[in-house]
Amino acid sequence: MARMNTEQARLSILLSCYLDGVLTDEELNEVVHVLDTDLEAIAEFHKLKEARRAVRLMPMLEVPSHLLPRTHLDEELSAFLDGELSTQETPVVSAHLESCGECRMVLADLDRSRIAIRALPGVESPVFLDLHRETTTVARRRIPAIVALATGVAAVVIAFTVGPFAAGGEQPTISIADLNARHAAVASVPAAVQISNTAP
Amino acid sequence: MTRLGRSVLVGTTFAVAFGVLTPAVTAGELEDIITQAREATYNATRVTKSVWGDQIEVTDQLVEHWSGGELVRTNLSWTVSGNGRLVSMGEVPSGLVFLTAKTTPEIQRYEVGDVTTVKHMHRSALRVEVMEGDLKRATLIVDERSGAVLLSETFNGQGRVFRTVSLSEFKPYRMYPEPEEMSSVPVQVIMHSNSDLLPNELAGYQIVDVFPGPGGSEQGFYSDGLFGFSVFAISKRTTIEGFADSMALVTDDGLYEMVPTAQDVRIRWADKDRNYVLVGDIPPDHLEEILTVLPAPGRDSMLKIWWRKLFG
Repeated sequence: MARMNTEQARLSILLSCYLDGVLTDEELNEVVHVLDTDLEAIAEFHKLKEARRAVRLMPMLEVPSHLLPRTHLDEELSAFLDGELSTQETPVVSAHLESCGECRMVLADLDRSRIAIRALPGVESPVFLDLHRETTTVARRRIPAIVALATGVAAVVIAFTVGPFAAGGEQPTISIADLNARHAAVASVPAAVQISNTAP
Repeated sequence: MTRLGRSVLVGTTFAVAFGVLTPAVTAGELEDIITQAREATYNATRVTKSVWGDQIEVTDQLVEHWSGGELVRTNLSWTVSGNGRLVSMGEVPSGLVFLTAKTTPEIQRYEVGDVTTVKHMHRSALRVEVMEGDLKRATLIVDERSGAVLLSETFNGQGRVFRTVSLSEFKPYRMYPEPEEMSSVPVQVIMHSNSDLLPNELAGYQIVDVFPGPGGSEQGFYSDGLFGFSVFAISKRTTIEGFADSMALVTDDGLYEMVPTAQDVRIRWADKDRNYVLVGDIPPDHLEEILTVLPAPGRDSMLKIWWRKLFG
């Protein structure tokens, strides 16, 4: 009896790992064989899939603010937009953004100001700034969001004042491959099925 | 028979026996089929063929599909997509994550027609006809066990097949984990926004969400639950690359530049105020209707059209 329970427990773990895609080739063959022959295993597999689906569809509850380790994100928002967070930091920031409307609004403002800046006519930076470009890139990650926002607004004002007088900035260029990738990413919410196959 | 098979066949039998809906059943069953296909786990070679006029486009890809994601491998690169994320490892590694709380709208204009059991690649499958009114819009061969769509044929407005997507070397399990290099690819996060420019509905397609695009542009993603496309409204001074080998699409409204591929179509045009690009997997007759509603080449801007609609 104990042995049977052990085998069942092992099978459950294997099926779970199968859904996670982390099986070795040998284990994968074992699971495929079991799923081809054992009706109970197939039933168990479907039950496991259903359970996972149910968990995914569960409503997200707001975390009480007093349980959160810190109140709001600051400099991490800049790094988040720049894709400069580490693999460990990204899920923490994403989870906070899901539960915190205030940080989402700050992030959206920050993103909008950056987009506005990017849309402005290009102005060539003076040569002396090039010398410090690398240093600035490294330091940028630690600029607090509020300072970044203020800088963004200032940059917009300066660019609107100086932009019209700047000697013909370069025309911005967009590639169709970029637009296609953006469409494919958005279309994968939920993921595309074969009939509307949008992967580039 | 699987739950998918039972639900579709029982629904069809019930509907036909009691004359509830003849010959079509409900759109809800089609959503079930699409949901099961989206959650299916498999590894296969996917061949996509599209016919645009006298031009035939074909592409084949190695595909690994699982619940909420897909890994596509070609000769030189791979792409992982799903749940608003797309990470590519090609010449230039790139990643995009779209943050949205919205999902594809419910299917309203399509219904399930005839459903029959068939054998496809030695596997038990259901052959499902998707009807758009009296027009057969698609035929799906759905694997009973995994829920994957093994073969789909999409028809144009004249009832001719314009796209075929088929899976071969099908294995109902995963072969590869997600590439480890994914974590090192820089990812750009894009928050959804609002638009006064893009309409909420375009020829039967509902807007799902709006996002800021590159160079100050706006991207509106539209879907009818089965097909989808994006419209990009882009500044007039922005140069759009990738249409060097385009073909001309001439309609009553004007001239468009078109690049058809096996998987989608890309259209570019400009009115007095903006450049527009449309990217999507829509049937040609739907495309024609959509272009009729959007600002025509060289004519009034969308803002003026809406202004006139509102204030005469």
